[in-house]
Amino acid sequence: MRAWLIQRLSAVYLSLFLLYVLFWWLTTDRLSYTEWRQLIGQPFMAVALGLFFSALLVHAWVGMRDVLVDYIPHIGLRFFILIGVALFLLALGIWAALILVAVVMI
Amino acid sequence: MRFRIYRYNPETDQKPHMQEYVLEEIQPGMMLRDALLKLKEQDETLVFRHSCGEGVCGSDAMNINGRNGLACITPLESLKTPVEIRPVPGMPVIRDLVVDMGQFYHHYRAIKPYLIVHDPEPEVEYRQSPEEREKLDGLYECILCGCCSTSCPSFWWNPDKFRGPAALLQAYRFLADSRDQATAQRLEELEGPYRLFRCHTIMNCVNVCPKGLNPTAAINNIKKLMVKDMV
Repeated sequence: MRAWLIQRLSAVYLSLFLLYVLFWWLTTDRLSYTEWRQLIGQPFMAVALGLFFSALLVHAWVGMRDVLVDYIPHIGLRFFILIGVALFLLALGIWAALILVAVVMI
Repeated sequence: MRFRIYRYNPETDQKPHMQEYVLEEIQPGMMLRDALLKLKEQDETLVFRHSCGEGVCGSDAMNINGRNGLACITPLESLKTPVEIRPVPGMPVIRDLVVDMGQFYHHYRAIKPYLIVHDPEPEVEYRQSPEEREKLDGLYECILCGCCSTSCPSFWWNPDKFRGPAALLQAYRFLADSRDQATAQRLEELEGPYRLFRCHTIMNCVNVCPKGLNPTAAINNIKKLMVKDMV
């Protein structure tokens, strides 16, 4: 139940955020590198992006787990692949966090 | 009219095979079940389940041109030839079109398909308002033919753990019943990643249900009840 609820809630956030980004992208001119940094450096945007990446990773984790539970009946193999997926997502998460922190700090 | 029918007799056949049949005398309004009965006159070894002949008992569920349905309410006119008939998918075949429904009934039994009441039994009938009764519409009509569960990929992958759309529709039928008092217990039983949550709203069940019911909606309602129960 928890996994399903997390999946649903993260999906809501992801779609709202993506809609916002799409709207923003259609209504804004191209930004330079400094403008980008400024934009992401704002606390609101940084938090929203942080939430976005968390939601994305959690969503991907639950989704991948669901797919693997369905299609990999062999428990050992499933466990092995799950660990691979978890490490990959974790690495992506740390990478995104490092970038965000670096931008906000400066 | 030409038919290709799945044949398998575990006592004599190594593997299943498709057998061709031709039926000459087709009357207007004839259902597939009538045709199968005529074919059985041609070849007595052809085996299939059937009983009421009017879509009430749910015995003659089979895979007709790739789609699960009841032979007795499938008009021959609606079918492309050759009509390919197989047993419902994902179930152990006993012989020809007859499958072992044991696992299906096991899941049905597991959801406790009866009213559970903790209060002392009333001296009169259990009372229910028309509005409360209305909530059971679209749930109680299920005839347990198994068309839905056997067309559900999640049920194919995990037939031993996932309850399947038919059993879950019935689970909701009792959760929605104003007279039932075991809501918490029923929800608890459906917790975990398999029993209920293997449903990914594929909606094959809704697509094939010969009674036009919506197990996916029922499953979503169970999920909503779980969220409500948690909050």
